Amino acid sequence: MLRISGLQAAYGKAEVLHGIDLEVAPGEVVCLIGRNGVGKSSTMKSIVRDQIAVTGGDILFEGRSLARMRPHDVIRRGVGYVPEDRRVFASLSVLENLRVPRPVRAQDRRRWTVEEVFQLFPQLHDYRNRKAGVMSGGEQQMLSVARALLTCPKLLLLDEPHEGLAPKIAEEVVDAIVELKREGVSMVVSEQALNTIRRCADRVYVIDRGVTVWSGTVEGFYADPEITRKYLMVQ
Amino acid sequence: MTDPKTLWAAVSRAALNWKLLVPLAVALELFNRLSPASSSTLLTEVAILALFATSLNLLMSFGHMVSFGHAAYFGLGAYGFTLAVTRGGLAPEMALLVGPLAAALGGLVFGALCVRLTEIYFAMLTLACAQITYTVLFQWYDVTGGDTGITGFMIPRLGLSETGYASLVLGLVALALLALWMIVKSPLGLMIRAVGQDRARAEALGLAARRVQLVAFVIAAFFAGIAGTLYAVLHGSAFPDYAGLGLTLDGLIMVVLGGLNSFAGGIWGAVIYEMLSNFVPKFIHQWELVLGLLLLGICLAMPHGFAGLLARLGWRGGKGEK
Repeated sequence: MLRISGLQAAYGKAEVLHGIDLEVAPGEVVCLIGRNGVGKSSTMKSIVRDQIAVTGGDILFEGRSLARMRPHDVIRRGVGYVPEDRRVFASLSVLENLRVPRPVRAQDRRRWTVEEVFQLFPQLHDYRNRKAGVMSGGEQQMLSVARALLTCPKLLLLDEPHEGLAPKIAEEVVDAIVELKREGVSMVVSEQALNTIRRCADRVYVIDRGVTVWSGTVEGFYADPEITRKYLMVQ
Repeated sequence: MTDPKTLWAAVSRAALNWKLLVPLAVALELFNRLSPASSSTLLTEVAILALFATSLNLLMSFGHMVSFGHAAYFGLGAYGFTLAVTRGGLAPEMALLVGPLAAALGGLVFGALCVRLTEIYFAMLTLACAQITYTVLFQWYDVTGGDTGITGFMIPRLGLSETGYASLVLGLVALALLALWMIVKSPLGLMIRAVGQDRARAEALGLAARRVQLVAFVIAAFFAGIAGTLYAVLHGSAFPDYAGLGLTLDGLIMVVLGGLNSFAGGIWGAVIYEMLSNFVPKFIHQWELVLGLLLLGICLAMPHGFAGLLARLGWRGGKGEK
């Protein structure tokens, strides 16, 4: 479904990705692991062309290159994106936020409706007329995920989906990810929490200094404590 | 119940539904009928400028696009109408349609250029486009009459009395404002607001940001063109100043006075600005000084303008987005 090979990307002249390789099969959940600042977010931004320039390598989504595509065209091809900083439309109500995504016409996709995302996140239904800016971080995160689902993605990118959330709320977000996995949504999740990885990931990619340094199954990841020590511990 | 704030809220909620809008319309019409012709003309001008300021406000408050050249589309509306009569040989009643369409076309051409950039660069491009428009109107003597403009080509106000034309304009402006309100509340309006607030995020939800901004620009130009056309009919003339920097600035001041981030801001701003510019000079020669101090006060003390003040008092009609 998604195949990234030798990806290089830069903010202005500062190159931050030097060689990312990544593959996602349909229905699969892939976790990106690595310390802060190694390029997990930049990898996701490169896929949706969010204010970062791809300078080398290629990103193939269902056989088509995304590397030169405009951001909204990437989204319309079926990539959903939940950025790290959430960025809900603060002055719009929850319901209005959910109505911003354009309905897709493509036939081959699971279509999400506002009612369905309300089932996934019942709190959003309760707060549907509230301004998004006054909601808590966890609620904004749910709104951000819900909004991305309404673009009817075949592949969902979740950047640090429960960073900075209270443990209980974070758990709810992970529950939603597990639920989405059951629905067959392919996902790329950048993640630090090891128990989340255990709950939802199929495969793991470890990134360090802009390069993919390890990839394999979740079992393989846990079987090799050396990887965790080398790439995740604070040095 | 006796809390003045809740009372205000109750009064203002009622103001937004027909029970108060209809009496308001009746009151305006009565004022128009009963007052002298000069007041009717003032009322007409206020209504036209309210439409102009609201069209600019659509860009500023909802699209977060600050245009330094919105008068260009007012001018294109006026000249589109005027030239359709003088050059095209159309009857003035028919030419009424040409003005707004000319403005929308101008908005499409200039807008396609301007939305390529954002923020101050966008503003500078709109300024450049407006200055080009102004210069063409000012210099192209053979067609536009240059700095002397075009006059005497029709009976002003389509032959209606001041009062009659004021009624017509009030009705048309009310319809145009209603249309703009519906646009703001429509899915398209939501797209315009989303792109205005966070362009990158709107794109990440599949919106083509530039296209949305261009549509907003053309809509704003079209309604500014209606205002320009009505203004040309009012005076039976068209002058390059209609597309000049002065009117652009007037529009910007009206929006800030009335209240950014509120639909009603443009309307309030036009009313307050016109009242000030008409009545303050009767008492003080330096009316610009008064305006300057007022703007200073508003920017510092109540950045959401008059509509923001009303919102703080609980008036929903003044309520907009932060």
